Amino acid sequence: MQPTVASSRLRKILRAGAPMFLIGLLAGCLLPPEPKTEVGKDVFNLYIIVLFLAGIVFVAVEGFIVYAIVRYRRKPGDDTLPEQHHGNTKVEIIWTLIPTVIVFILFGFSMATLSEIEARSENPGVVVQVDGFQWDWTFRYEDGPVFNSEGGEPPVLRVPVGEPVRLVLNSLDVNHSFYVPQFLIKRDLIDLGENGRDNELEFTITEAGTYAGQCAEFCGTAHADMKFVVEAMEREAFDEYMAALASGETPPPTGGGECSTTIEIKANNTQFDIGEFEVPADTDFCIAFENQEAVPHNVAIYDGGEATFTGDFVNEPGSITYNVPALPAGEFRFICDAHPQAMVGDVTVTE
Amino acid sequence: MATTTLEPRAGTYQRSWVLDWLTTVDHKKIGILYIVNSFLFFFAAGILALLIRSELAIPGIQFLDQNTYNQAFTMHGTIMLFLFIIPALSGFGNYIVPLQLGAPDMAFPRINALSFWLLPLGGLLIFSGYLFGGAAAEGWTGYAPLTNRSEGVGTDLWIIGLALVGTASILGAVNFIATIFKMRAPGMTLFRMPIFVWTMLVTAVLILLATPVLAAGLIALFIDRNYGGSFFDPSVGGNPVLWQHIFWFFGHPEVYIVILPAMGVVSEILPVFSRKPLFGYRAFVFATIAIGLLSFSVWAHHMFTTGSVLLPFFSFMTALIAIPTGIKMFNWLATLWRGKLILATPMLFALGFLSMFLIGGISGVMLASPPIDFHVQDTYFVVAHLHYVFFGGSVFGVFAAMYYWFPKMTGRKLNEPLGKIHFWMHFIGFNLAFFPMHQLGLDGMPRRISDYSPDAGWTLLNMVSTVGAFMIAASIIPFLINVIATFINGEPAGDNPWEGNTLEWATTSPPPPYNFDRLPPIHSERPLFFLTHGHGHAAVRPEDLEETAEDDVERRDGAV
Repeated sequence: MQPTVASSRLRKILRAGAPMFLIGLLAGCLLPPEPKTEVGKDVFNLYIIVLFLAGIVFVAVEGFIVYAIVRYRRKPGDDTLPEQHHGNTKVEIIWTLIPTVIVFILFGFSMATLSEIEARSENPGVVVQVDGFQWDWTFRYEDGPVFNSEGGEPPVLRVPVGEPVRLVLNSLDVNHSFYVPQFLIKRDLIDLGENGRDNELEFTITEAGTYAGQCAEFCGTAHADMKFVVEAMEREAFDEYMAALASGETPPPTGGGECSTTIEIKANNTQFDIGEFEVPADTDFCIAFENQEAVPHNVAIYDGGEATFTGDFVNEPGSITYNVPALPAGEFRFICDAHPQAMVGDVTVTE
Repeated sequence: MATTTLEPRAGTYQRSWVLDWLTTVDHKKIGILYIVNSFLFFFAAGILALLIRSELAIPGIQFLDQNTYNQAFTMHGTIMLFLFIIPALSGFGNYIVPLQLGAPDMAFPRINALSFWLLPLGGLLIFSGYLFGGAAAEGWTGYAPLTNRSEGVGTDLWIIGLALVGTASILGAVNFIATIFKMRAPGMTLFRMPIFVWTMLVTAVLILLATPVLAAGLIALFIDRNYGGSFFDPSVGGNPVLWQHIFWFFGHPEVYIVILPAMGVVSEILPVFSRKPLFGYRAFVFATIAIGLLSFSVWAHHMFTTGSVLLPFFSFMTALIAIPTGIKMFNWLATLWRGKLILATPMLFALGFLSMFLIGGISGVMLASPPIDFHVQDTYFVVAHLHYVFFGGSVFGVFAAMYYWFPKMTGRKLNEPLGKIHFWMHFIGFNLAFFPMHQLGLDGMPRRISDYSPDAGWTLLNMVSTVGAFMIAASIIPFLINVIATFINGEPAGDNPWEGNTLEWATTSPPPPYNFDRLPPIHSERPLFFLTHGHGHAAVRPEDLEETAEDDVERRDGAV
């Protein structure tokens, strides 16, 4: 019987569609984020190979199923039996070998990448003990500062760029997992008791910036809130920051990468020094706020009656840098929550 | 001959149908009880899934507070696995295995009834936490030491309920093994058993070896929580990783306990609706056994990120499972090859199984690679993977079995157009709900979180997923209408509506108590094929007609 027009057209579409689909798959979706660590790059490359193999298997098998449905569908009224194949040893040996070969290729690549990930450097740039507990983190530096979460903001792990960072992962209670998606790696924090050895994780960040992370192992009620931030900075900035911290000075605002725009706002005599500012849409920006008097002030951004960002209060003369999440294009207002009548200005977010 | 054949039907006496169903030891009634019970729990756990998806549709806390959310996903996972998928497939096994073997009942009918009645009891105990200050909220994996330290009786009820359900499983497994080895009809050699029976046999062996390990772990956990034990709590010298080893030593064979019977169902349906024998019957049997054996050497691939396991070994063993699974996939495809496909609803669900389980299989092989696992472990990628295996695989198998064997169980055929509507809504809804989760996981969205930041960029895909979940729920409506309408006034099915070739189609629909008045001769894995198409058919192989020792026994004993 001749294949129908519809089925031959379908076949044409399939023939053209399958490679297109594969290319689409590889081009855009089903990819992890762009890796920001050296190990992450290895994982990413491995993933691309695996995804490519997976894509071939997927297209071949699903393609055959669709083909079989179209091609071998019983014609109405056809009551004859098809040929009754019970099996064929030769082809079965062949299709035992196909997955075997794929599995061995995959295993080889995986082990090569694994040895890269597990490699430990002689002299890591910084060693930080990460304490995970329900539901927060503390970052302890060797002979150095301790960073906790402050004022509801997630704690910040500050590390240098381009040098191996070694984390000692220590749980103070139940299991947790240290995970930064853009690093493409995670490792569990498990309390193994007095004789247990903590897990270690080592990576080298390739680009300065701030990276969001959160606990990946379910750890009880507020597991979803157990977040942290990794702030990667150039070695000089890192040293400067740590030195300032050690000497008791207020550390300079950090994170060279993350503030493409910094707005400076000063408060004095219960007045802001500016009445309006403009920032680009859909981009994080910073507000460097300086309170010049012994009256509590802050900066909050409102969309109508609703706060989209609320900065911490500065209760006496001092400075703070707010990291403000991206805003959509439009008109907003910035306000001091303590003096909403007197201290108010306009924010224009432009495309 | 007719005058000397014993009437196999037991003498009946009047009693109310309620009492009859409550006290039945008939494998067919118990099978139906299993299936009805499983679907009730399916709807309950499905509602929990809708709550979870509603909460995650947009960022922010909308409907559920964190604690309620954690209870919801814990109960959803526990109930779906232990009280829906496993018992539903066991129910079909209970109904169909004795029929396919030509046996009058299971080997131990009373144990069969006991192992069923433990299920609703266990399930209700697990759920009853909601009445006593909150259900368990530690995830269906119940990781220590979180479970050691959580307050509330809900977790204790979860432990006791699961232990009961596990006991039911073990009893059922013993029964299946005894039935399959000792109750086969004359002529039904091991290599003439239908593939569904083979998969149930391997499943039963896995249950028998794996479930006691879970039971031991649960008892240890109960002692830790209530009597000052120190198995898993590091603060008193225990080891929390030990719990993970115990749980996954059960938990990975569990995955195959859930998927193998569904593979068996599909291996029954594809040949019948392609009008061909299963391609490579023996290869399929050996692949099933190989999967069963390998399943005990891969548990620690759930623990790659703990830093406590030998990565290359478990990675390699896990990847090896792709080989027997690949063989099965090729055998199914070759069964379609040059067949005459009849796209009735059971076949649609079976083809749905093939195409969806494939995706779960592929993502499983990806997860077997430790470096990739380091990125996506405990993210939505894993959630996507497990739903493509459990839902795209097993649940499609459950529905395929439902549409395939419903005529046998009730004597009435489910309505085809409604069945097709159900299938397509189910299929599309399923992919909308779960495919986006692959990307969410790759983007780094951890599983088991009640909320996420609007800045994370996960909002759109979560919304799509929620829409898909509600579409799956909506697809259940035509299914329920179909089942109810067919009960009331369905098309009579006859003994063998699908032209099946296994013994369950050789008796009436529904079968009488003790199943068979007489059995056809059994010369192959398709005994009815000869009855339908005759010995002269070109497709009948010479070896199918060879007399064996069992055939002599059959002749000597006469009608069964």
